[in-house]
This record gives sequence, C-alpha cells and structure tokens, in this order.
Amino acid sequence: MKLREHEAKNVIKEYGIPVPAGFLIRTAAELPAHLDALGDKIVLKAQVDVGGRGKAGGILMADKTTAVKTAEELFRKEIKGLPVKEILAEQRLDIQHEYYLSITVDRSSKQPLILFTEEGGVDIEITAKENPGAIRRVIATPLMRDLPPFMLRELAGKAPKEIMPIINKLYRVFLEKDALLAEINPLVTTLQGVFAADAKIIVDDNALGRQGFTVNRDLTDREREAEKHGFSYVELNGAIGVIGNGAGLTMSTLDLIEFYGGKAANFLDVGGGAESERVMHAVRLVASVPTVKVIVVNLLGGITKCDEVAKGIIAAGISQKVIVRLAGTNEAEGRRLLTEKGYEMLPTMDLVVKKAVEVTK
Amino acid sequence: MIYGDKKTGILVQGATGKQGEFHIGLMNAYAREVGGRGVVAGVTPGKGGQQVHGVPVYNTVREAMSEHDIGASVIFVPAGAAADAIMEEAHAGIETIVCITEHIPVHDTMKAVAYARMQGSSVIGPNCPGLLSPGEVKMGIMPSGLFSRGNVGVISRSGTLTYEVVDELTRAGIGQSTVVGIGGDPVIGQTFVDVLKQFENDPQTKAVVLIGEVGGNLEEEGAKCTDLPIVAYIAGISAPPDKRMGHAGAIVEGGEGDARSKIARLKKNGVPVASRPSEIPDMVRKLFCGC
Repeated sequence: MKLREHEAKNVIKEYGIPVPAGFLIRTAAELPAHLDALGDKIVLKAQVDVGGRGKAGGILMADKTTAVKTAEELFRKEIKGLPVKEILAEQRLDIQHEYYLSITVDRSSKQPLILFTEEGGVDIEITAKENPGAIRRVIATPLMRDLPPFMLRELAGKAPKEIMPIINKLYRVFLEKDALLAEINPLVTTLQGVFAADAKIIVDDNALGRQGFTVNRDLTDREREAEKHGFSYVELNGAIGVIGNGAGLTMSTLDLIEFYGGKAANFLDVGGGAESERVMHAVRLVASVPTVKVIVVNLLGGITKCDEVAKGIIAAGISQKVIVRLAGTNEAEGRRLLTEKGYEMLPTMDLVVKKAVEVTK
Repeated sequence: MIYGDKKTGILVQGATGKQGEFHIGLMNAYAREVGGRGVVAGVTPGKGGQQVHGVPVYNTVREAMSEHDIGASVIFVPAGAAADAIMEEAHAGIETIVCITEHIPVHDTMKAVAYARMQGSSVIGPNCPGLLSPGEVKMGIMPSGLFSRGNVGVISRSGTLTYEVVDELTRAGIGQSTVVGIGGDPVIGQTFVDVLKQFENDPQTKAVVLIGEVGGNLEEEGAKCTDLPIVAYIAGISAPPDKRMGHAGAIVEGGEGDARSKIARLKKNGVPVASRPSEIPDMVRKLFCGC
C-alpha cells in the first residue's frame, strides 16, 4: 500500500529526517490558522493516490495573501478523475540543490538496493537512461540494522556530509516499516539545512497488520466484496468474466482471451481448494460486472474438487452463460452435475476461451 | 536430480497442522510408489512425541536431526512463523528448504534467505508449490498424477499454471526431470538463475521450460546465464500496470517488468517464447530435433 505524501512525511519525520513545515487541511477555511507557521511562500499539494499529480495540476504555488483562494481552487479540481479531499499546505523552500534517494527491494540479489544521485529533481527515469553513471547503487544486507559508513560514503560522494545520516535514517525507515519502497525525491539543500521536499513509501501489504497502518485505498463495492472473500481481484474492461485458481493460470487465461481476439472483464483468483460457497460468491461477483456477457471458469489442481465447484456454479444461478473447464478430483461427477443443468464443460483452456470469444462476437 | 532424490529424508515443519498433515500423507504415498524415503520426521513446537501418519513429531528441528538423516524440509507453518522456520532449518544444516507458506512479509523473507545463504542452505519459495522429480521425490504439494519421468526441467513462478504445462508435456509424451515451483513473491530463495545452474549440472536434464510472469526481470537474467536449450512462456501480457495480479510479485511497476518487454528480451537472446501454454510441447520437441 502506498502511503500518501503527508503520511510518508510523518513517518520519516519520526526518524529525524527534516521535512518542510506543513499542515493537512480538509477545507480551505482551515488554512488561515496555519499561515503564520507557513511563512510567505506556500505550496499546496493535493493528496490523491495517483502518480504524476504535479503535471496534472495537483500542485499549486501561492503566497500568504493568495493561499486561501488557491486552496479553494484546488479543492474544486479533479486530479486524473479523483476529487481532492485533502491538501498538504507546506512552506516553500529556497532550494540550492536537489538530490534523489531511493531504497527498494532488489529481486536479483534478494537484498535492499539503495540508489542515490546528485542529479535529482529531474525525472529519475530520464537520468537512468541518459546518464546511468550518475546514479550510485549499493546493495546492503538486511541482517544489519544500519548501513556501514563505507556504504554511506560510497553513496553520498561529493554531496554535503549532512546527507549521509539521512540515507541511514531512511534505511531504518525501510527496514522497520516493512517498506517495499522508501524514496525521497527531491532531497534538497537550503540555507537552513537538508530537507525531504517529497517522500514516497510503499508498505508491504503482508505487513500492514503488524505495522498498524489502516488501509487508505478507496475500494469499489466489487473490490470490497472480493477482499471479504479473500479473492485476488482486478477489474478490466471487457465482456468475458474470468474465474481461475492460481495467479499464473488465471493470468494465462486472460492472455488467451486476448490471443483469440476477445477482451477480459476481470482477473479473479479464487484460491486453492475452492469449496462450493466460495465458487458461488466468485461467480456472482463476476456476473455483477455490468460489461460481462459470458464467464469462463478455468480450474485445475489436485485439491480442487470438481463436484464442489459444479455445485457452486449451479447455486450462483446467474443469467449470463458460464463455460467451464475443470480438471481435478471427482471430475466425472462435476461434469455430470453441470451438463445435467445445461452448462457447457470443455476439456482444455484453449477450447473454453475460444468458445467464450465466439459468444461475445 | 537436483535438490534431492529417493534417498533424501524429508522433514516437515508445521506437521500437525491441517495442511502439514494432509501433505505428509500425499508425499509419503508418492514415496511408497517410487520406493523413496519420503517424510521421515515432523516438527511442531510443543507437539513433540505425537505422530502424523506414522511419522514422529519433534519439538525442534535439532531434535529431529539428531534422530534422523534429513536432507530437505518442507514448511507449512503460518506466515508469521515461516521466516523463523527457514532460519531454524538453515541453522541446523538442512540443505534444501522448501517453503510453501504464502503472505510472508518481504522483509522477513529477505532476512531468512540471507541467513540461509550464510549457512549454505538453498531456499525454494516462499509462496510456492515445491518441487517434484518424477520417479524420485516429491517435496511440496504438486499433484503427482500429472507428471512423467523424462529429460525436461521445468521452472515456474506459479502453481496451477505449472500443472497445466506439465499436463500438456505429459500428454505429448515429454517427460520431466525435475519441476521446480520457485514461488510468486518478489523475494524468493532460488531464482531462475539459481535453478538453471542446478539443471546445468544435472545429466538428466537436456532442456528447460521456463514459466515466468510479469514483475522483475529474473526470467531474462536466467535465460542469459545458461547454455541449456530453453522454451519460455510469460503470463500477464494482458496485465494492466501497477496492479498486483494475484501473486505479490506479479506487478508491472514504474514501467518495468511487463510481459511484452520480457518476451522481446528473451527472443533477442534467442529463446523461443510460446504465446500460449498449449504451444509449449511442440516447441520443446523442436529443441530436441534441432529444427
């Protein structure tokens, strides 16, 4: 889960990384109370869960006299389709130099990877392409709580020495907050010292419980329903609903729909050992997607009992056509139940998908 | 054979849980079928002295090791205890550690995998179905009925998709040497690179099917570091960016790890890539006849 900017800044502030003076407001009327603390130059930042919010008009500059009016303007906006419910009002810094600092999980070495460049501020992807040598990379060991000084020196290079403790503090944040990403971009120097002008933290979904973070995502009704039943669920835009077991097989089913010229409506992984009630809920959930004309069920595996799956499909009693591929234990009984009720059961995933694409054409 | 064979004694952690008990039964049924040793000991703290399907249960891995010759383990404990289980086994000197458990926080996995590497153990998983060498040994939860013995190694980040491909191979008369499910998490112990190195030293394996998915670039890294002939398949061509597709590690992030660019890089390195699972057997056959 990606923390919003103000949440991420609160976290790094706890670890002693300086952030600009800032206040979270929910209406423009809350702003005047903070104006003295913010000073003359102010930046207003919409707290919305989208990337590229600056370019989309979600960050506005103001001064003491125009701040309230500018905040009103920002609250009326939609940023990439999302309403602005919260604004972070911050002191604007007199920036001398911008740096980029990022810590991620490196899949290849299976260890934390720290990136630092003195060419911050600009799009880091552009730097990575045009001047890859400017980005310093250090792989750390997760078994040590602090980065050894030599690693800090290697990363910081000619940057001011105040940067080194900040790198280590962000490393602590990364380790202790179960972060998949902890990033400060830009990390800036000013006459008053070093500040994190922006901060991005993504917390591992599997650690939200022990970290005590409340989930800040706005879920749709169907996403909430899927979460309730423990289904992995992603909505797409097509006419063919998909229910599979296992992430790989379900993804592969979606790809096959594209291969045969159709378009999938969703990804739903019902999980292992699916019982009739789970299957029923899955079928009903997918059938409730307005664009769905036909549903492909593709279940395979040792633990999955085909008769249970068949009962679930029948119990769902939906109006759309359901085309089924089942392989596992009690396969014959599952087929008997389904064909008795007039459902189509085909032996391979190619056949069910081909059939479903035909139905939608 | 890689990671273990008929003679490998297996330990199961979380032996008295529902999953552990169920799969000890299946693993030992397979061991009887092929004349292997199978699961020889179980561990559940506080349940020492019990038996599961006739397998003795101990309180600690060290206790189990002092009574039995153990070369591998399979972990079924809950997510909060799984990293500890990996480290306990690495500490006791078990060479191959298969972790089935899903939903382990990534930082726990990073620490456990780093510690296991220090101790010289190989971790397979987490969030994986384990491995199966047909006719030799099953460590994990793969449905053995679909497998047949042969010369093709299979490496996959997925569970059921692996069974789909193995089923296709078996139906086409192409047997497997060892099938390894390396797991669907962002950090896993044995990656494509590590397993391919094992296959390189395995005289039985003549070709490899590599089943990848969106997220990261370890499929391409793996394919680059081996001389073995490979057929690849990458799931997730239709996956939208920034959405987790079921597996914690199956995500296109910051424009990286998408299926199309993975496929393009594999093809650039001369690796044939199947556009759907049912194409794989024919492509494997072509590797063998060199046409």
